[in-house]
Amino acid sequence: MYFPYFVTYIVVGLLLGLITFGWALHSGQFRDQQRARFLPLVRSETPAATSKFGRLETYVLMGMACIGLLISAFTLIYSLLRG
Amino acid sequence: MMMATFMGLLGATELIAPDLSGNLSWIVFGRVRPIHVNLVLFGFVTPGLLGAAFYFLPRLLDTDLYSEGLGRVSVIVWNLILVCIVLSLAAGYSQGREYAEMIWPVDMLIVIVFTLIFFNFIMTVAQRREPLLYVSVWYACAAIVLTGLTYCLGNVIWRPDSGALVGIPDAILLWFYGHNIFGLLLTPLSLGVAYYVIPRVCRSPLYSHTLSLVGFWSLILVYTHIGTHHLLQVPVPTWLKVIATVDSVGMVIPVMVVLINLWYTAKGRLGEIHADIGGKFVFTGTILYFFVSIQGSMMALPQVQRITHFNNWVIAHSHVGVLGFAGMIALGGIYYILPRAVGKPLYSRYLADFQYWLVLIGVVGFTVVLTIAGLIQGNAWFNGETIYRVLPEIHMYYIVRASLGLIIFVAAVLGFYNIVRTIFGRPAETVVVEGSPTRELLAGSESGLAHQESGLAHQEVAS
Repeated sequence: MYFPYFVTYIVVGLLLGLITFGWALHSGQFRDQQRARFLPLVRSETPAATSKFGRLETYVLMGMACIGLLISAFTLIYSLLRG
Repeated sequence: MMMATFMGLLGATELIAPDLSGNLSWIVFGRVRPIHVNLVLFGFVTPGLLGAAFYFLPRLLDTDLYSEGLGRVSVIVWNLILVCIVLSLAAGYSQGREYAEMIWPVDMLIVIVFTLIFFNFIMTVAQRREPLLYVSVWYACAAIVLTGLTYCLGNVIWRPDSGALVGIPDAILLWFYGHNIFGLLLTPLSLGVAYYVIPRVCRSPLYSHTLSLVGFWSLILVYTHIGTHHLLQVPVPTWLKVIATVDSVGMVIPVMVVLINLWYTAKGRLGEIHADIGGKFVFTGTILYFFVSIQGSMMALPQVQRITHFNNWVIAHSHVGVLGFAGMIALGGIYYILPRAVGKPLYSRYLADFQYWLVLIGVVGFTVVLTIAGLIQGNAWFNGETIYRVLPEIHMYYIVRASLGLIIFVAAVLGFYNIVRTIFGRPAETVVVEGSPTRELLAGSESGLAHQESGLAHQEVAS
């Protein structure tokens, strides 16, 4: 019999979620979203530094991303054909 | 990270040479593997991310941390837990449930430390001067609350002797825990760090805070139910499998919401990301978040899982998730925050960059090698091949995997050296800005620039 544990968790989780969401709504957490966008920038200590990607670095990074995409696509196609 | 990756390397080597550990029972594969997994989780990634959360929470809330003392106690208890994890598992004291191997006293210590951290976080939130909670604060607090609850339930802490239920109900509970300990601890903490670091590195406001809250609440709504997608091939109730599969595919929504938001924030500012080693790690982590999430949604489809599950493909997936996504962001958080926290410049940008490439090559290598090995295993199992015919076929991939493990371990050692030299380096009178045309800026100008940027922010809002 495992349902009591799940039911307890679901009820506690749901209550916590609803209470928190209700508090957020009531305390205006969803207002003034434009200002919220800038919060991490307060106390920024320095101007931004920039540097360029080298050509080799760009190719290697793109190559790695392509490998990731290809291997994921291959797994999907292969599994759908075989599974 | 050094200990955790060394255990991974040792485990991978034992898969090639099973007699390596001889009669030393405390380092046989069955003990090394849980030590590796739990050290990566509780010894490297989570503390790295939590350290960042302890740094950004007071700054985002415009207040001090509620209690520095309580924070220090949390660190001491946390490290005590790590010692207990290694000693108990190496000595063979294990509850034998994947990811939940720790014995009851260690479980209780973990629950206590999460309670301490939650209390510190929530009291910091309560005494804040900034009325709005930035999305990183939401993620950090939710991660602690949800993990506390998930940990108690998943480890069946009301049964100290076994830490388990019996039969299928225990499998359901275990995978509920096994998936959520990553999805409701590492994911929200990592996203909280990414939402803090990327706008700061780019000196650009978040693309949309509303969108970030949509992502947060949809993650909370969807992620909690998907653990059962690891049990599609066992007799658990069908309704639970349906919920797990639908929600796993539904995870595409919170994931894409987060990535669109972060990538649009960084749009046109990749030069700034490239110039900051912390930002570089974090941004790469977001790209790997894309891969691991797409893989996760894909794997939850029963048709795909027949080939990809219960083999090395899942190990590839977990390495992309824990090392590639959360680990990269944890390292980024450390490199971004450490020089600011200790007031000293990073010892070596070159070493950090070298570590970045080693970790990246290791993660991509793991993905390729373990995917190939996994597909060979999955296909063989699907065709009813016996295991002794499959093992020689994947032996070569196990050797490459151990070699990649060595690369990751070297990366960890380099990172450790760099961090130690940074902490114990000479205190700088000036703040060094890597790659900046001027290179040095007086530390005292921080507040002035803050007011300046704050003013700019208000101007933009007003317009």
